[in-house]
Amino acid sequence: MAKKNWREFVRNNVVTIMFIVVCAVCMAFSGYKPNYVMYELFGRLSRNAFIVLALIIPIVAGMGINFAITIGAMAAQIACILVLEWGIQGFGGFLVAAALTVPMASVFGFLIGKILNKMKGQEMIGGMILGYFANGLYQLLCLFIFDNIIPINNPDLTIKGSKGIANTMDLSKAGGMGGTLEKLWRLPMAQATLVFAAVIALILIIGHVRSHRKNNRKLSMQLSVLALVCVTMQLPIMKDLFSMVQVPMATFGIVALLCLFNVLLMRTRLGQQFRAVGQNRTVANAAGINVDKVRIIAITISTVLAGWGQLIFVQNLGAFQTYGAADQVGLYAGAAILVGGASVVRATNTQALLGTVLFHLMFILAPAAGKNLFGDAAIGEYFRVFMCYGVIALALVMHAWSSVAPKKKPKLTDKV
Amino acid sequence: MKVNVSKKQIIACVLIVILAIALGVVGVYGLSSRNADSGVKVLHDMRLQAILNTAGSGAVDAYVAAEKQAATQAVRAAGGGMKEVRAATAQAETEARARAEELGIGAVDLSSVDTAALGAALNVMVDAQQAYYAEEARAQAEYIELNKDAITVQEDTAEMTDDSGSEVAMEETIDLSGFVATEEMNNLMAKVDEAYLNMYEEIKVIFPALTDDILASLKATITSVMAAANDTFESQYDRAQAASGINPGTFGMILRQSRTFALSAVGLILLALVVFFYGPLVKKMGVPRLIIGSFFVLLCLLALILNLSLTSQLGNTLVRLGMNGVLVLSMLPGIQCGISLNLGMPIGIIGGLIGGLLCIELGMSGFGGFLFACVIGMAISAVTGYFYGMLLNRLKGDEMSVTTYVGFSIVSLMCIGWLVMPFKSPIMKWPLGNGLRTTIGLQSAYKHVLNNFLSFELFGVTIPTGLLLFFALCCFLVWLFMRSKTGIAMSAAGANPRFAAATGINVDRMRIIGTMLSTMLAAVGIIVYGQSYGFMQLYQAPRQMGFLAASAILLGGASTSRAKISNVIIGTFLFQGVLTLGMPVANALIPGSTISETLRILISNGIILYALTKSGGASRG
Repeated sequence: MAKKNWREFVRNNVVTIMFIVVCAVCMAFSGYKPNYVMYELFGRLSRNAFIVLALIIPIVAGMGINFAITIGAMAAQIACILVLEWGIQGFGGFLVAAALTVPMASVFGFLIGKILNKMKGQEMIGGMILGYFANGLYQLLCLFIFDNIIPINNPDLTIKGSKGIANTMDLSKAGGMGGTLEKLWRLPMAQATLVFAAVIALILIIGHVRSHRKNNRKLSMQLSVLALVCVTMQLPIMKDLFSMVQVPMATFGIVALLCLFNVLLMRTRLGQQFRAVGQNRTVANAAGINVDKVRIIAITISTVLAGWGQLIFVQNLGAFQTYGAADQVGLYAGAAILVGGASVVRATNTQALLGTVLFHLMFILAPAAGKNLFGDAAIGEYFRVFMCYGVIALALVMHAWSSVAPKKKPKLTDKV
Repeated sequence: MKVNVSKKQIIACVLIVILAIALGVVGVYGLSSRNADSGVKVLHDMRLQAILNTAGSGAVDAYVAAEKQAATQAVRAAGGGMKEVRAATAQAETEARARAEELGIGAVDLSSVDTAALGAALNVMVDAQQAYYAEEARAQAEYIELNKDAITVQEDTAEMTDDSGSEVAMEETIDLSGFVATEEMNNLMAKVDEAYLNMYEEIKVIFPALTDDILASLKATITSVMAAANDTFESQYDRAQAASGINPGTFGMILRQSRTFALSAVGLILLALVVFFYGPLVKKMGVPRLIIGSFFVLLCLLALILNLSLTSQLGNTLVRLGMNGVLVLSMLPGIQCGISLNLGMPIGIIGGLIGGLLCIELGMSGFGGFLFACVIGMAISAVTGYFYGMLLNRLKGDEMSVTTYVGFSIVSLMCIGWLVMPFKSPIMKWPLGNGLRTTIGLQSAYKHVLNNFLSFELFGVTIPTGLLLFFALCCFLVWLFMRSKTGIAMSAAGANPRFAAATGINVDRMRIIGTMLSTMLAAVGIIVYGQSYGFMQLYQAPRQMGFLAASAILLGGASTSRAKISNVIIGTFLFQGVLTLGMPVANALIPGSTISETLRILISNGIILYALTKSGGASRG
């Protein structure tokens, strides 16, 4: 029996396990020092975790991976361009951009939802093509509407000697919003763990007090794990490992808030509706849920969150490519969440975060490992692109497989 | 056919037709007056005035120069030094200019002088110039024809990098540095010179102050206003008007814009027809095809209005039709056998690319090389297509998103493959470092073997007979196959798997056959594409080709579950036509813009989106 459970576990998490192996191999051959890898990893985590978490709600609502989050990212970029044009300085600029993203991304999300409702069952491919299509509209906006119809007065934003928005937006100039969120509050890893552990403990205790079923054993387990983690982090070996890491508390705080939001939302009435629609549209409809509306809400929330995610991403990097930054967002985020063990019908915060860690670990390590193994860094780069697509393809194939397999029983279509 | 037309439609139609008739009448009137006396006179007068203006300013210069000289001599005679001379000339110049203005030396108005003789001389010169330019164009065309391969420089602009798969622009620049004027051209040039000398005498009569030096220096200005290479009425008019400063009034405006008016009238009539038959048209063609079809017609009209060579653009479209046709055709068996749009088509393309690489590696060329590449490509794609079909059989109903990502991941896996493949030919390998080049020239292999086969000229357009014949042959073979027993069984399996299974058709086998056929056609398609384009593109290039082919066949009227050969042909023609015409028209309207690229992204993805929204999704549940 135990053996069967074990096999089941491997089968359900084959992507994750495969990725752990790949990461381990890459780590062994990359020749990087662990503390450098941790430094890179934390940088990438702070940039990317938010947008991956934005994918959870549509998956729960049965719409698969929302590849149309690229459109949310475009909304954030438009907001950034406007903030630059108005010359709003520093962290204020970031907040204004975040506020601006909301109405834009909501409208876009609503429209995406409307369109995806017309192609039920094809949401993923539809979302992807919508992303490409929106990219065309975005180009139209940035090249032919901004600076031609809508005047742009900031000379740094436009193409020199021609019309339209320039290719690179620099956010890290004096007074720019680049890095302002990170600079708010930074701590070394050991102290950061203490802070987060304290907050989590507080939340757990509040939850325990308010809960009707008092599960003392579970609480004490959770608290002791937290304490253990805190103590481990204070060890010299751990301090050495994270010696280069300065944890940007505000960014990770926001990520933690989003996790909490995802958990709490699922406990509300709306969250239940998401789940019902995700499990079976027909049953949900029969139960009096307005399926189309629920799906539109799910996509809209996801699009707004993706916009914020992209905003965090670009302010962290301090610059972005006007015409290319949004293209790959859906691909990378989608691959990351699948790596964490999510499927196109099931996803949790833990899977999203684990997936982000593993996926970006691979991203950091693959070029160096490729160089050391085959003498060519390009092989490593192509390998990681292959892994992005391969992971999504594998997850889709496995999902299709598992959903088709039971239906095959009647054997009607087989060799008659 | 019963046409239901609402009142609003009729009103709109009537209004449009009235506008069209008004514009058409004005346009035709303008066009006919261009050659009538009144029209000829407008242009003629403007040219004369332009000459008078140019010569007038020359006359002023001559007058001023004479005055300056006189002043200098006067100062010299009085024994003044350099400083005094300078002061005196400066003063003389201002005074002379003022006096010239007063006397009206430069400003001679057309009505104030008798221009009959000058006009006659002018006409002779313009005719001579036009003859010269015509001869030059002919001689250059001949030169290009003779030295076609030596002077054509094909540029491939950067590889495809962005995710939406921008197609590499086909740019052919022609190097004319080796071109020398012919005997005939020299003779004609001499005639132009002679005519100018005649006119020169006439100008001297009007402006006695002019010296020979100044008149000779005015030649370039005057001749360039009168005629230029590839001249049209509009450009002649614009130049003459700018140089003369005459406001030609409404009549002149009608003359200038008559072509635009007439073509707009044609466009409006077509619009009225579309509005009138909107219902049946939408029913028959669907909204997107109607929009893009109208857009195509609009582009054609714009090309005519902007004086772009429509025939050569349509010729390009024809080349692109043959070039992309087979790739688009490869969508058809996939759709018919029930795997929907085969967005995993890059899998087949890779087979074709390997075939092409082997052909270069083994040093084959010409038709032999082309056929060899096709056979190898089809063999490889048949194998990969078989396994791909087996995979698709296990995921019925979920094909599209899976095939897309399977295709993408195979393409990126092959990126590593291109890096490590043991090819030796220096044409294909990077001079430094590992792996194959991103674009590989096919000059040594099978470049243009189909394009040049039996090709002939028609209205100045080269018709790529071989290419079109090959495309037609492929279409015919697929058509034949679709009518064979297997083909019909395949279509049945795609249309209704359960029913087909009940009638004894092996659905899974039919789906595999369809998938194999699709990937094999894709392999041939990319080879045809390569021979026409002149390059093979490796690495990320094949990734988006599936989308382009899918949008073309959908544009032709196919759905995600049903397609016909006619859909392939119409769709490819429309899609490529809009792209080919879009670029020059957009560049003429907004110089240096990339709007046609944006347009391509919008059209190709918009059409797929539309097809997807039609493919399913009840309002609820």
